[in-house]
Amino acid sequence: MLRRLPSMVSAFTVLVFVFLYLPIVVVVINSVNADKFLVSWGGFTTKWYAKALNDERIRTDFITSAKVAVASSLISVAIAVAASLWARNARVWSRRALDATTYMRIVLPEVVLATALFIFIRRLHFQLGVTAIVIGHVVFNSAYATVVIQARLATLPISLEEAATDLGASPRRVFQRVTFPLLAPAILVAVLLTLSFSFDDVVSSLFLGGTNAETLPVLLLGLIRISVTPEVNAIAVGVMLITLITFACAAVVATVRGSIGVRSTPQAPDVEE
Amino acid sequence: MTEDPAPRASAAGSRRRSPWGRGSSRQLLALPTFGWTLLFFVAPLSILLLYSFGQMNLITFDVNFGWTLDNYRQLNQSLYVHTVVRSVLLSLGATLGCLVIGYPVAYTLSKQQGRIQTLLLIGVMIPFWTSFVVRTYAWVNLLQNGGPVENVLHALHLSHGSLNVLYSPTAVWIGILYSYLPLMILPLFVSLERIDPGLTHAASDLGASGLRAFRRVTLPLSMPGVIAGCILVGVPATGEYVIPSILGGGKTLMYGNVIADQFFQVGDYPFGAALAMTMMAVVTLFLVVARSGLSRVEDVT
Repeated sequence: MLRRLPSMVSAFTVLVFVFLYLPIVVVVINSVNADKFLVSWGGFTTKWYAKALNDERIRTDFITSAKVAVASSLISVAIAVAASLWARNARVWSRRALDATTYMRIVLPEVVLATALFIFIRRLHFQLGVTAIVIGHVVFNSAYATVVIQARLATLPISLEEAATDLGASPRRVFQRVTFPLLAPAILVAVLLTLSFSFDDVVSSLFLGGTNAETLPVLLLGLIRISVTPEVNAIAVGVMLITLITFACAAVVATVRGSIGVRSTPQAPDVEE
Repeated sequence: MTEDPAPRASAAGSRRRSPWGRGSSRQLLALPTFGWTLLFFVAPLSILLLYSFGQMNLITFDVNFGWTLDNYRQLNQSLYVHTVVRSVLLSLGATLGCLVIGYPVAYTLSKQQGRIQTLLLIGVMIPFWTSFVVRTYAWVNLLQNGGPVENVLHALHLSHGSLNVLYSPTAVWIGILYSYLPLMILPLFVSLERIDPGLTHAASDLGASGLRAFRRVTLPLSMPGVIAGCILVGVPATGEYVIPSILGGGKTLMYGNVIADQFFQVGDYPFGAALAMTMMAVVTLFLVVARSGLSRVEDVT
């Protein structure tokens, strides 16, 4: 299967994949392990799943996480698309300013950003909670989204949009009929990326949630620190399944849309307003 | 990547009749990003900087903005110096580990084609989609005394007796290495994938051995990926909070934990701010070194 490589390198790669999946296998096994201290195999059980599903706090936190993820992802991608379209025709120095802020938002350690926003929000007497978490997540998520969308935009010729403009389409119509369909795959990638970053985030959520909002990862970290809690494994497997199903659906949608898109792109956009 | 000069040329030539409106209305597109960055990134960091020179009244919990360096002087205490040094060493160690482990993997991936390559790339990404907290927690299971890792090492006669790794710096190192490995593999893969196979063929045609061709051609050309990977791993690893809190067991703390403690337990915001600003300085230093390395590499290639 692995081609034209020294066998040592191939064997090593296989070992690394084992390393990458080992903890996930442990999580899956322990999610159905009846031994409540998780030290040895105590037989098969589904009670941890039942326990997790019936826990009010877990359900609430899951919904909080989902809300935060969806809100921060949509805001991030929207402002990233706007900024990327602007940057395409902007002057060199203003494009550099955008690149610099994007880079800084990605490389700044999250603890520093979270503490800064925490002090900022306390100082202005705003409330910590869901809105604060969303604000924090958008700071870094919009930077990742900008990178993804700019990368795609760089490969698209502007001539299609110019043609639409020359044929009399308004800027809004050009965006709807030409730019957006061409950007759709990158937007999908950016949405999925930011959703998963936000859903899995601990540090910003911990600092900015305060006592008003708790996300699932923050709850999991708290549970783990107190004692051995087998239901965290069931929660993780559940979340993993949801994620994989979402990604699989997205992949299917992308392939279907992609195969249609290839044929419909060269069609002249409808110029009537 | 294919460099197509046509779009760039037409973009420059058509600035006047851009489809995106003209003049000031188009500038509005930049507003959300710059507004958000200014309000929720630049402003909070400026306040953090101000706080780091301020003082906390321990009775009223008000912060006075005197210009004092006391918070930074406090950093001299051995507890904090040790933590900073430990964080930097753990982060550098994990970055190096990721590089050594990730390079052969990225190289293997870059030599595959089509569907197999896509599947392997997805395989590298999938661990990302399992809860980060719970994946790290799984290492507690794996590394504990009498756990699977100890059993395997015993079976291979590589160690005897208890492993005693859990809740030590080694456990934190393994945790960071594990979590950040995909972030090293992906940029390495991108840079290796881009190298024209004709170059290594030319080197072997000219009589270079496989190893020599790799050392003189492939390795230098992949340096941008090496540096990008080191930045993606080294910077967040320095500020890591979750992994040391789970695998360090409250004993092996890193910088991120000390900062968080100032806010959640001690309540000394100005000192916490000084700690955070110092971390920013450490990371900036790291980035400056990495970037100067990158520009030197790009000069060569």
